[in-house]
Amino acid sequence: MDRIGADRPGGAIAAGWTDEMPRRATLRRRINWTAVSMIAPAVLALLAIGLFPLLYAVNASFRLYQLTKPYLGHPWVGLDNYRAALQDDLFWASLRRTAVFLVATLPVQVVLGVAVALLLHSTRWRKLSAVTRVLLVLPIATTPTVVGLIGRLTYNRDFGVVNWALGQIGLGPFSWLGQPRPAFFVIALTDTWQWTPFVALVALAGLTAVPEDIVEASRLDTGSGWEIFRHVQLPFLWPGITAILIIRTADMFKLFDMVFIMTRGGPGVSTELVSLYLQRLGFRIFDLGVASAQAILLLVLCIALSRFYLRVFYREIEA
Amino acid sequence: MNTRDSLSRRTSRRTILKGMAAGAAAGAATRIHAPAIIAKQSTWDLAKAAEPYRGVEINAFFLERPGYVAAVQMIPEFEEITGIKVNHDTTPYENAHEKQVIDFTGGTAQYDIVLVDVVWIGEFAASGWIVPMDKFFNNPELADPDLNLEGFFPILLESFGTWDNVIYGLPFDNYSGLMFYNKRMLADAGFEAPPSSWQELFEVYGPALTKDGKYAFALQSRRGETQSCDSFMRMVWAFGGSLLNPETFEPNLSSPESLAGLQFRQDLMQYMPPDIVEWDHDETVQGLAQGNVAIITEWSANWTTITDPSKSTIVEDAAVAIEPAGADGQPHPALGGFSLAVNSASPEEKQAAAYLFIQWVTSEAKAKDYVINGGVSGRQSVYQDPEIRERYPYADALVESWSKYGNPIFRPRFPEWPQISELIAETGSEMMLGSISVEDGAKQLDDQIREILKDYIEGNKPRLQ
Repeated sequence: MDRIGADRPGGAIAAGWTDEMPRRATLRRRINWTAVSMIAPAVLALLAIGLFPLLYAVNASFRLYQLTKPYLGHPWVGLDNYRAALQDDLFWASLRRTAVFLVATLPVQVVLGVAVALLLHSTRWRKLSAVTRVLLVLPIATTPTVVGLIGRLTYNRDFGVVNWALGQIGLGPFSWLGQPRPAFFVIALTDTWQWTPFVALVALAGLTAVPEDIVEASRLDTGSGWEIFRHVQLPFLWPGITAILIIRTADMFKLFDMVFIMTRGGPGVSTELVSLYLQRLGFRIFDLGVASAQAILLLVLCIALSRFYLRVFYREIEA
Repeated sequence: MNTRDSLSRRTSRRTILKGMAAGAAAGAATRIHAPAIIAKQSTWDLAKAAEPYRGVEINAFFLERPGYVAAVQMIPEFEEITGIKVNHDTTPYENAHEKQVIDFTGGTAQYDIVLVDVVWIGEFAASGWIVPMDKFFNNPELADPDLNLEGFFPILLESFGTWDNVIYGLPFDNYSGLMFYNKRMLADAGFEAPPSSWQELFEVYGPALTKDGKYAFALQSRRGETQSCDSFMRMVWAFGGSLLNPETFEPNLSSPESLAGLQFRQDLMQYMPPDIVEWDHDETVQGLAQGNVAIITEWSANWTTITDPSKSTIVEDAAVAIEPAGADGQPHPALGGFSLAVNSASPEEKQAAAYLFIQWVTSEAKAKDYVINGGVSGRQSVYQDPEIRERYPYADALVESWSKYGNPIFRPRFPEWPQISELIAETGSEMMLGSISVEDGAKQLDDQIREILKDYIEGNKPRLQ
């Protein structure tokens, strides 16, 4: 039997198949079992570590789920947890803080990352560019906990290298982590340090996809680098930038390790982002029902923002 | 409230607390006879007791602290004698509660030897997650005739190991708050001795020692248990306040005494490093060890760091004393520490093996090794050893703190404390930063705590703390 022929329009009849032939048999013949057996473990693993916890959290969000009070059981409470979540002032406060963090850091990371990518793409020092690309991976590859520890030491008021350097020119010492605004600034700066290289690498990949002849032609057409960037290179960057916006937004809703190690949400509540608050509610107070409801609300918010980014920023590249 | 009322209220509270401590000691004392009598009937030997468990593998939950490093150094000896394999999982304190609770509620019994902070014992015991020690004390095959529970400082056995008059754990990693200071900095400012009271620290030592980028005092106040215990509760108790009325469980932070303590902390901040609200234990100990701070009140175990030449520049100038006295002329040192207990979800043979390790590592016989390796033992006898007294100058202050001034309810030990601690840590930090006034913060906390403790206040739950 010629399977390829069966796939073509009219091919099935030509190959001796009729409309009465059961569709299931057709499907069975189309399944590539070798491919299925190779993909299945990964799919199952994804279902186990991705989908199952999500479904578990959805289920928990509709139940009374206080981990340290097992005697209360886990009765169905309908939307009570969602009601409690939406009426929780601390949740809203931490969400506002996260929104400020997002607005303050993400645009900076995108602009800086694209600028670094343009520099690396245009440099004539090819070897320097290659070395820099490797170096850019280092902050991304560093464990967030280690980044937090480095930040804690770097910005230490008495022993930190930042205050030491400022002291050399007669400034400081500044209490970076001991005051609310500087602490917020410092975690934003540390996040920018770690993730700007990621933007740069993605943008660099976008720039290398721009056909060289188009760039040359536009260079002859206009001498302005800004015009070339805006009309020739930027359209190739938008898909990557959209992906970055989606990934980094989700990251910031989940940002925990680095901030927890650096400030533990303090001083006061000045750096308590929503993930730290959820961790506190879920694993310090052990109210998993309300914590799950808040996590599901965050997921919905994240999906909505992703749709917004796709609608506003995503552009197909026209040939 | 007039002064007499205030005094009488304070006295009454103190009487109750002392009574509780005495009662606890008596309770502990009566409990110890059972294993001793049973054990005398046979010739007990650790190797023989462990014979049925040879080859059993057990897991212990440890922290990244000197007392655990000390125990780890002792494990090979225990393994050699018993043939029991002891693994240990080292976790930062900040994650210890969460990690163990998840293990308990999941019923995974990942840890056979459970670590119980003084403030977790109510939760762990009331939830049935740890095994009452009577089960082992009453087993002549397992109970060492030299167990001698009376040999522990009573306050430690009561606070760290006992809940509702049942012993669940044996004191293992034991702390008292002590005052560490830099003799040279004090001498340079004209002081021959450290401050005897908090008021003296504020009025005399503070102005004299805070200059040229150096600070008279540092009170570790980072958000977390450090803020709620080391900073907040220390000052509340020092001025006669308390978290709760011990009889009614009504919150008491808005009382004049509690407010006085919290306001004193605000006033004292002018003599502390400006970022003190971000200082945890490490920063505080290093502040002293690097000569930037003259006086700190820290846990006893930190003496090891302060006198380690590789970590400290004040080895020769380091000195230690009891914490300064409060408004009533008495010191109210912080009390903290951990007992080791057995996980209820572990299989029987692992429970027995875990108990044998706990009994051995906290025994009087091993107390000296434990101290020399860097731990702080809860056994009274070891601090009578001349070598230990000579080698560890903090021993006298430590023994005096535990014996005379220790407060078994420095922090309440009921299951709701972790939740209350989170609230105190948040609002306490906000108070220090000036984002909320002391009065408003105390009132806010009182309201929140009242809601959490509603069942106790209304009499639906026994008022144990």
